[in-house]
Amino acid sequence: MRRQPINRISEKGLRVWRLYGIIQTFFVLLVAIGAGVLAYIFEWSWYIYGIAGIIVIAYAYLFVYLFPKIKWLRWRYEVRESEIELQHGLFIVKRTLIPMVRVQHVDTSQGPILRKYNLAGITISTAATNHEIPALIVEEADELRSRISTLARVADDDV
Amino acid sequence: MMSKTRYQLHWITAVMSVLRTLREMIVPILILVFANGINDTGKWYLDYLTFIIFGFSIIVFFVTGIIKWKRYVYWFEDDELRIEYGLFVKKKRYIPFDRIQSLDYTEGILHRPFNLVKVSVETAGGSASLKAEAELTAITKDAANVIEKEMAEAKKRKVQSVTIDDEFEEEFEVASEPPTKKIFTMSGKDLLVLATTSGGVGLIISGAVIFLSQFADVLPIEWAYREVSGFIKSGLLIVAIAVFLVLLIIWGISVAMTFFAYYGFTVQIDYEDIVITRGLLEKKRITVPLNRVQSVRIVENPFRKLFGYANVVIDNAGGGITGEGAKINLLPIVKRKAINTPLQELFPELILDEPTNQLPARSKRFYYRIEFVWMVPVIAALSYFFFPFGLFSFLIIPAVISWGLWHHRSAAYEIKGNQLTMRFRMFSLQTVYMMKKRIQSMEMKQNYFHRKRKVATVSAAVKSGMGAFYAQVKHMEEEEAEQILAWYEPAREAVVEGVLEVEQ
Repeated sequence: MRRQPINRISEKGLRVWRLYGIIQTFFVLLVAIGAGVLAYIFEWSWYIYGIAGIIVIAYAYLFVYLFPKIKWLRWRYEVRESEIELQHGLFIVKRTLIPMVRVQHVDTSQGPILRKYNLAGITISTAATNHEIPALIVEEADELRSRISTLARVADDDV
Repeated sequence: MMSKTRYQLHWITAVMSVLRTLREMIVPILILVFANGINDTGKWYLDYLTFIIFGFSIIVFFVTGIIKWKRYVYWFEDDELRIEYGLFVKKKRYIPFDRIQSLDYTEGILHRPFNLVKVSVETAGGSASLKAEAELTAITKDAANVIEKEMAEAKKRKVQSVTIDDEFEEEFEVASEPPTKKIFTMSGKDLLVLATTSGGVGLIISGAVIFLSQFADVLPIEWAYREVSGFIKSGLLIVAIAVFLVLLIIWGISVAMTFFAYYGFTVQIDYEDIVITRGLLEKKRITVPLNRVQSVRIVENPFRKLFGYANVVIDNAGGGITGEGAKINLLPIVKRKAINTPLQELFPELILDEPTNQLPARSKRFYYRIEFVWMVPVIAALSYFFFPFGLFSFLIIPAVISWGLWHHRSAAYEIKGNQLTMRFRMFSLQTVYMMKKRIQSMEMKQNYFHRKRKVATVSAAVKSGMGAFYAQVKHMEEEEAEQILAWYEPAREAVVEGVLEVEQ
């Protein structure tokens, strides 16, 4: 069995994902309320309310509680001298290997929600592909970014 | 010092730009004319409004075409190709000769009589600059040679400045340039097979259908329908012959199109570059530097396989996102048995063996299981709503399963030294040869059922143009997948090398 990468992403990342889930649930809730109002006006059958309610609750459970948790438990990364290894995925576990010599540049990015939690995401780009680590403490992200860019030497012959 | 003469493009450029705009406008013109028709409102300027608008815009295009041509200049300075152009805003583009990967030549019908070429400048194109290329629409062949000469001189200067530092070490290399060598040509018979088995036939049919549907309002459909129904009554044999004739004509068009595009297809090796020339009416010459080739793929379309043919595609770093230059048809059609000779000549380090490791029997189910998700409701619905005949939809099950098994049997992989070979099937069978140093990243994917059954999917990304091409073997042995990942991991290699160094 292949060893898992060591590092985990910030625990606050889990909270951010939960927040995303809450925001999404809010929109689902709006739609459900809309359906409820329509059902009331046009006197549709009562089980519309039931279905709408169940959908909202199930959505909230999955996207606020379960999925972020699984995702967070799964997310691991490791930056070694000559390669970066990532492991992530909800249903499908993906393990990605990016050799340092292939890395072209590293970006950190931060949206309003991430900034509130003092988090940042890192995007590692090779000549052909992009890979993201979604939530790291800002200082950690900055440190990682500069570490990767020092380790990444652009090989002359390869693209 | 260098010459700083500013060169202009040939005046035919202006004509071409006008013609190009006209060609783009022809469909809107037709649609507008047909939609409006020529109705009589009594006021002549309303009757001919569309014609007036288009006449006016044609004049505008003509004038802008000439101005654009007049404004476009290029020259050589400081080992750079410099271009200045622009209608309202003057734009300048400086391309260092070092960054130029290749000059591709195209000779269109309008180029021929004046002995002109279109030169496309291909640059390395870092991911930051989406379009660093330049295009000289029409210049004389002599002028094209001047560019090549300037480039060669600039490179020589560079080498010389290096050799002075390195005590004349590299001077010999510059002097001894091996002549170009022909690797591959296509015969007339190859062209026929290519035309017949390519998607061209389908393309023409769909093109005809789209064309007809565009003009469905204008065409006398009812009249045609009556004619056709009368025609069908007149006898099955005649209908069959007519259908056959139509197919024959379509095939003929397809052959003609392929013939024009691929006539005189040759692959040459020129020092460090692959040079591909092709075309009858429009002659094209594409240069691919050997060290930009990222992967070699043998594609076996089932129809072509029937005749023992395959084709070879290479992924090239550089060029557009999906445009020409990313994926290059190196050998458009070639006997499967004859593939190795030209490929080996181009890529001597490539091991062209068939991949031998196949997938375990327990991964079979993964190739068709997911299909049941849509299959079951579709079959249930069909059987219910179209009761007696709907039951035939059960035949989907064996079809899907055998399709899956076909894919399972096709998949294979092999690691040999620094080379990974992956074989998989979409509709055509693809065998991808990749060197380790060309693989940008590698991924191993597993879902819950995969883990339970100890299988995994491995996918390797190679650069193709601006994007990536993913070669993947699905549902392979988990242990083997991990081994491939370990093979790819640079750290392990470093450890192994370290050990060797210590031993020495």
